Amino acid sequence: MRISAARRATIERASVSLLVVLSAAMILLGKADQVVLQSLRSYVMDGAAPALDVLSRPAAALATAAHRVLGFMTVYSDNVRLAEENERLLGWQQVALRLSAENAQLRDLTKLVPEPRISFVTARVVADSGGAYVRTLMIDAGRDNGVARGQAAMTGEGLVGRVSEVGARAARILLITDLNSRVPVAVDGTRQRAILAGDNSARPSLRYVDAGGGIKIGDRIVTSGQGGVFPPGLPVGVVVSVDSEAPQVEPYAALTRLDYLRVVDYGLAEALPNPSTVAGRGGKRADTQASGPPPLRR
Amino acid sequence: MVNVLPIATTVVAALLSIEPLRIGGFTALTPAFTLMAAYYWTLYRPDLLPALSLFIIGVIQDLLSGGLPGATAIMLLLVRAIVSGHRHYLVNQPFPFIWAGFTLLTGGAMLFLWALHSLLAGNVLELREPILRAVLTISMFPVASLLLGRTQRAMIGAG
Repeated sequence: MRISAARRATIERASVSLLVVLSAAMILLGKADQVVLQSLRSYVMDGAAPALDVLSRPAAALATAAHRVLGFMTVYSDNVRLAEENERLLGWQQVALRLSAENAQLRDLTKLVPEPRISFVTARVVADSGGAYVRTLMIDAGRDNGVARGQAAMTGEGLVGRVSEVGARAARILLITDLNSRVPVAVDGTRQRAILAGDNSARPSLRYVDAGGGIKIGDRIVTSGQGGVFPPGLPVGVVVSVDSEAPQVEPYAALTRLDYLRVVDYGLAEALPNPSTVAGRGGKRADTQASGPPPLRR
Repeated sequence: MVNVLPIATTVVAALLSIEPLRIGGFTALTPAFTLMAAYYWTLYRPDLLPALSLFIIGVIQDLLSGGLPGATAIMLLLVRAIVSGHRHYLVNQPFPFIWAGFTLLTGGAMLFLWALHSLLAGNVLELREPILRAVLTISMFPVASLLLGRTQRAMIGAG
C-alpha cells in the first residue's frame, strides 16, 4: 500500500498522540482503581518471572564474585573480629539456654497454649524498582509456594517489608523504605509506640511519637503488633538521628543488597483486606491498610 | 526475522533496567536502558520500533517495576516524538553530537518523570535521585550505543 511521506507523518503523529493520551489515562486509572491494576500486575509478573530470573543470575554471580575478591583483603581483621564476636555469643548462648528452660517451666505452670508453628518460604529477589520512585522488590515465589498478601518479608537481620501483590509464581514486596509503607513499631523495652513511615530514602522516620517520649540515638526499634499487621517483636532497625522533625531509623536489613529473603506466615495474612472488599463497603476509596485488629489465631 | 531485533533489544533493555544491581550503599539505581534503546532505534530505524511497541514495553516495565503504570510509556513516546522531529539532521552526525543530544533528552526525561511524580504525590520530591540516575544513564550511553551499533550491523549483514 503506497502512502505518501506526508500522510505517513500525520498517521505517525496521530498514533503517538493517541498512545500518549492512553498512557495518561492509564496513570489516572492506576491511581483510581487498584483492583484492575493489581490483577494486571500479577499477570505480567507471572509472565516475566522466568525471564527476570534468568537475567538476574549473571548479575548476582558477579556481585558474589566481587564480594569474595574484596573479602580477601580483609581476611585477617575479619578473623579477629569474628573470634571476639564468637566468644561474646557463646556467653549469650548460655543465657538463652537458661531463659529457655525457665520459659518452659513457667509455661507449664500457667498451662499456656503453645504458639502456632511459623512457616516460611525462602525466595530470591529477581527484580527491583530501578529507581522508579517506589521501593519494591519482586521475588520468585508466589501463591503456588504459599505466599499470600500481607505476609512479612524478613532477612536474618530484620524486617524488609510486606507482600503487597501475589501472582502464581511471583510476588511483590513493598519495602519499609517506600513512600507508602507504614509499619506500627515500638521502642524495644518500653511502651513508646510510633509509626515507621518510609519516604523513599534509605532511612525511614518515626511519626506520631509521643512528645515527651525521649527517643534517643541507639534505641532499638521493633514491630509493636498494633493493628494486627505484623506480630510484635520483629527487629526493624536502630534510631540514628533525632535532629530533624522525626527521628530517623537505620533498618537492620541491608535493603540494597538483598539476594534472598524469607516470607513468613504468622497466620495474619487476612489482616490486609483486598481493595475490592474495602471499596465494596459504602463505596469508600480502596486502600491497603488494615481496617482494625483481626482476632489473633492462638 | 532480524527485523524484530530493535524490539527485542528494547525489551531486554527494559528487563535489565529493573535488575537488582546490589551496589552496596546506594539505593537501587539502574541506568535507564530503555531510554537508550528507544533513542538509538528511533534515530536509526524508527520503522522497526513503532510507537505501539514503545507503549507496550513502557507499560510492561512500569508494571514489573512497581511504579506508576504508563509513566515510562509516556516518556518513551515523547522521546519518539522529539527524536523523530529532529532525526533528519541528527542521524548523520558523529557520535559526540548524538551523545550530546542524548544528554539533553535524558535530562529532560528525568525532569519530566520527577515533575509527574511530584504532581501526583502532591509535594515536591527530592531531586537527588533523578539527577544521579540521569548522570548514570548518560555515562553508560556510549556502551549501549556500541552494542546496539553491532546489532544494527548484524542486521544489515543478514538482511
